Amino acid sequence: MEYILKNGIVYDPTNNVDGEKKDVMFKDGKIVDTVSPDAKEIDVTDKLVMPAGVDPHSHIAGPKLVVGRLYRPEDSRRGIVPKKGVTRAETGFSIPSCPATGYRYSRMGYGTVVEAAMPPLEAKHTHEEINIIPNLDIAPLPLFGNNWFTLEYAKEGNIDDLSAFISYWLRLVKGYGIKIVNPCGGEAWGWGMNVHGLDDPAPYFDVTAREVITALAKANEKLALPHSIHLHPNDLGHPGNYETTLDSMKLVKGISKNSPVRNQTVHMTHIQYHSYAGTNWRDFKSAAPDVAKFVNNNDHVTCDVGQITLDETTTMTADGPMEFDLHQLNGLKWANKDIELETASGIVPFIYSGRNSVHSVQWAIGLEMFLLVNNPWQIFLTTDSPNAGPFIRYPRVISWLMSNKRRTEMIENREVHKAVEKKSTLATIDREYDFNEIATISRAAPAKAYSFTDRGHLGIGANADIAVYNIKPNEIDPSIEYEVIEKEFGNAAYTIKDGRILVKDGEVVKVVPSRTLWTNVNGIEAEEEAVIKKIMPSFNKYYTIKFENYKVHDHFVPRPMAVNVQAGKAAK
Amino acid sequence: MGYEEPITDYDYKVDNCTCAFCGCNCDDLVYLVKGGEVKGEIKDGVVVSGYIDGGHVIGVRHACRLGASKVMEDMDQRLLVPMIRDEKGNLVETDWDTALDKAAELIANAVRPVFYGWSETSIETMHYGLELGELVGAVLDNQATICHGPSLQAVQNAGYPVMTLGECKNRADMIVYTGNNAMNSHPRHLGRYSTFPRGYFRKRGRFDRTLVTMDPRYTDTAKMSDIWVGFEQNGDYEFYNAMRAVLRGKKLEKDIISGIPKEDIEELVEEMKKVQFGALFFGLGLTHTLSKQRNIDIAINLVQDLNKFSKWNLIPMRGHFNVNGFNIFMAMEQGFPYGVDFARGYPRYMNGETNTIDLLTREEPDVFLVIAADPGAHFPSGANRHLANIPVIQIDIHWGPSTELADIVLPGSFIAVEAAGTSYRMDGVPIYMKKAISRPKTTRDDEWIVNELLKRVQKIKGIKPTVAGK
Amino acid sequence: MKIVTFNQKEISQIGLEFDELIPDKIYQWEKKDFEKYEVPIGNSRFPLRDYFDVDVEGSAESPADVKIIINGDLTRVKYIGSAMSAGEIVANSSVDLHCGSEMSGGEIIVNGDAESYAGREMTGGLLTIKGNTREFCGASYIGDWRGMTGGTIMIHGNAGKQLGECLTGGEIYVRGDCDILAGIHMTKGYIQIDGDVTRWPGGQMQGGSIVINGKLSRLLEGFIDSEIVKNPEVSGKQLAGKYIKYTGDIARNGKGNLYLDAEKNRNFL
Repeated sequence: MEYILKNGIVYDPTNNVDGEKKDVMFKDGKIVDTVSPDAKEIDVTDKLVMPAGVDPHSHIAGPKLVVGRLYRPEDSRRGIVPKKGVTRAETGFSIPSCPATGYRYSRMGYGTVVEAAMPPLEAKHTHEEINIIPNLDIAPLPLFGNNWFTLEYAKEGNIDDLSAFISYWLRLVKGYGIKIVNPCGGEAWGWGMNVHGLDDPAPYFDVTAREVITALAKANEKLALPHSIHLHPNDLGHPGNYETTLDSMKLVKGISKNSPVRNQTVHMTHIQYHSYAGTNWRDFKSAAPDVAKFVNNNDHVTCDVGQITLDETTTMTADGPMEFDLHQLNGLKWANKDIELETASGIVPFIYSGRNSVHSVQWAIGLEMFLLVNNPWQIFLTTDSPNAGPFIRYPRVISWLMSNKRRTEMIENREVHKAVEKKSTLATIDREYDFNEIATISRAAPAKAYSFTDRGHLGIGANADIAVYNIKPNEIDPSIEYEVIEKEFGNAAYTIKDGRILVKDGEVVKVVPSRTLWTNVNGIEAEEEAVIKKIMPSFNKYYTIKFENYKVHDHFVPRPMAVNVQAGKAAK
Repeated sequence: MGYEEPITDYDYKVDNCTCAFCGCNCDDLVYLVKGGEVKGEIKDGVVVSGYIDGGHVIGVRHACRLGASKVMEDMDQRLLVPMIRDEKGNLVETDWDTALDKAAELIANAVRPVFYGWSETSIETMHYGLELGELVGAVLDNQATICHGPSLQAVQNAGYPVMTLGECKNRADMIVYTGNNAMNSHPRHLGRYSTFPRGYFRKRGRFDRTLVTMDPRYTDTAKMSDIWVGFEQNGDYEFYNAMRAVLRGKKLEKDIISGIPKEDIEELVEEMKKVQFGALFFGLGLTHTLSKQRNIDIAINLVQDLNKFSKWNLIPMRGHFNVNGFNIFMAMEQGFPYGVDFARGYPRYMNGETNTIDLLTREEPDVFLVIAADPGAHFPSGANRHLANIPVIQIDIHWGPSTELADIVLPGSFIAVEAAGTSYRMDGVPIYMKKAISRPKTTRDDEWIVNELLKRVQKIKGIKPTVAGK
Repeated sequence: MKIVTFNQKEISQIGLEFDELIPDKIYQWEKKDFEKYEVPIGNSRFPLRDYFDVDVEGSAESPADVKIIINGDLTRVKYIGSAMSAGEIVANSSVDLHCGSEMSGGEIIVNGDAESYAGREMTGGLLTIKGNTREFCGASYIGDWRGMTGGTIMIHGNAGKQLGECLTGGEIYVRGDCDILAGIHMTKGYIQIDGDVTRWPGGQMQGGSIVINGKLSRLLEGFIDSEIVKNPEVSGKQLAGKYIKYTGDIARNGKGNLYLDAEKNRNFL
């Protein structure tokens, strides 16, 4: 089927198209430069056209999510929409059901999402949910930062075996890249403890976060994986943690990248939670200027923000000790899930309120990061959904970024606490994002960071993943009409995925099954086999599941999209 | 039980099979199969892929008594052909088309259909069941409604600090069983996961751990424990409340609380604070005494309090091998774990209103589909009385009390033996259970049966078939 | 003033759901609108006229001008007055589940018993139950730590288990007896029980007050600092007589108050 999107105002930062009025053509799911006269014409005159969104970090599928849904029926009840047309019923606000997740991303014009934390032991569960979520391509990142085998290899400095282990495990659990969460802290949580900073060793294993991050970054580049290490550093949410954040970023500076696409060797996730100065919650303040300065001076780093949206949400992370602290703070129901040999995790409902000084400053820190990092290719739009806010708030975050007026209004009307003015520099920043920058932070840049060459842009041969919004970029003043920006970015005029129209006028009109993106490393099969042989006695002794039953069977990945990588050789 | 000779006259072995009995889902079983033809690869007498067509499981290694006796065939009780109850009240054999069409017609025309069971079948089957339920506006519920439902309610009120069983095996130096008798209900639980295995940090196994049982009864589990706390029946809530009070530094005023001397409670709390890693396993003894979900509620809160001093986690001792699976499945698909009512076109979850027992005792349902469950044996008589009055469709593998209530019987296949499928262990670890032998030729897979019902109901309603959940 | 009278014709075994028949939604309806209306029963909708004759008198400018009278056997009619914000409903029978749940204003009078979940998550208004009620009266939605936040529930008969669970405001009065765990998890608000109470009122309560004028069978260990108070004032209400006052539930660092009638509960002294 051939289509032509007529006369849109196109923003495609990857191909340096900055608000040009032009046609976008696609055929059989791919962008083409010419179509036959039979092509179906869709008139989008003067409307905003972008590649479909790419979410670099979101929690949408997996055991944590299901614990959240299972133990928060009051949240499930908040987002109920009856079944209608092609869509099934939706439930949930901060932790939507799987179908709702797909529909809601589609309505925002998104096409690809990275599921940011997959415990390998329960990877089948994550894949089951990916299969239920419609309309997206999903790349899950398995957790390696507290894996016992990783800890052992990091301690020995055995990068070769670690690389083979990771390469094998990615294939075993169908994962896309290396996720590290509070390295060594997760293991310490096995004893109800935590580690602080990079040099506090994990109990018994006697290995530090410094060693783990370095080893995994080296292994990542040795294998030439499409994504860099994806780091949730230590000390999340602690006042004064920015020093750990800076140290973590410095740590990988010397490691040279092995990729023709991405620039970074470390992706720092939800950096907002890691940019705090002070020593306690009373003298807590923003360290965003320091962190942003480092990012501005170092192109080996990318980050996503994790913007606070001031909603009642559900926090969920593999950072188990942090969640327990949070529970101690707010007293709301605490869920925890420790996974043998691999990771911890925790969940706590949380009410972020503009009346609270700490939450307001957190809100400001996120926006500071967006506004102080100069290069939009280094900072991505996320809310660390659902931690800082549900992903359906992206349009609102976009409206904040595009409107200094709105930000000032919120500060002056006391929609946020007055501490924002004292403890952050937000009120002094008047930068406003333009549509090209929005397209960069929500599409082009995340795609580049994951080496997704087939999406995140509208060049010839790319997937026809396109979003059209009822916004006329040449007429609107986003600074004033921020409400329109929020509304329209939440209700795409068209969401097109692989050439199929999934959303029209904010309504889901077509439902297609999602696909799974995973990385298949080739070329070191012999090394892998040797490593597996070595670790098998430990595996059999300490896991409670047989190796044969551990792997993710093909049955769970019916629509795989393997990214083939030649170990050590950066793919084109 | 006398001595039994080991089974040696088998032809093939199938390794790493998963036990489809309790929530332990032991995945190290070896099926010993006699006869049949291998459809797949075989290596040194072990079938490494595929299954044995026409084979019979004559022995099971590593399984407990409960698991082995379920896995080994008992053909005399097996449902083999579809049946419909005639005017005289006798179940008579029929063909698949007739039985499925009749069942589909009943479901399509029902006003308050209930689909109950699911805990002993695969997630793959549930996908079709849910699609059917959403289509006709049914209530979907599973055995949690009569077992760990109160636990789920408590989890929803208090939280859910859980772990996988390996955490317990590798780290725990104190194991607490409360309100359950694992030695009888989950016989391999102590041996494979909690008390006896040698873990990474517990190299000496049993000797490195303290085993505590809190139960009014002196059970087989209590007999092998280091500490038995026999609080009075229905005294659970007060007992845990006292423990929490002690944990907060309160001096107890009463001398005896729920039948336990206050000094013993204080000593026990002290012990529990001192351990490195504690694991609490609770069962139906807690969920079904006087304060029901509040017993679990306060036990969860106790575990949360204990985490200020050391590390504690808990796991509910789920009964059926996939009862947790249904709750997980429903939560991911529609946001609520069990007792979900689709009557109004969106899911509603309201304990006491949308649960099977409540609906049956209110005499609301007009069609009842039971799959992989035995309400005839487990439901209160008030609920079963209504079942006797309405059309009941049964999908199961064995003849049981529910068959006596059923009007249409659709014989399924045995997941983890005759059919592959996904299940979730009590701690939420997913396992793909493999198929070892073929099913009896006249029966069908659960997945196929429910999908057929779906297709036929869609046809009656004039709806084009869509892709199922996956 | 508009008076809408429902007279039952037929009883349905499967519950009718009346959540759409509240003053807020029907204040402009005429008789013909009710005749057209289809009421949810199970997974379908059926004409209301098969089950109820509806008479309409007068007219209303706003929901507050509406009085709904429902006659017949309503033990299979759910959600009566659910989510209403104004007006009045009189049910001349025992009613089914969720009567007055999520109501924010107006008044409901039940001249009979009410099933479970009566007044769940109320935020305002008055719910009077002339008979008994069952479990979770004035409770929260399952999982939510915020229950009833305002309004008043008057129960002339007995109340079931877990009355006022997670109460975060408002007042509940019970003239009769009360089953276990009244006011469990409550954080604010006021519960007064004039009859006898079985075990463990105020389990894990963090705030608010419970007054028991009858006899209590068992109290939790988490209630401490007992003292005798005379004619205390609790939540702005003047009580008469001698009470034993406790603070608790200490198991949850609670600072709620429990008042026990000292005369009837001498065994606690």
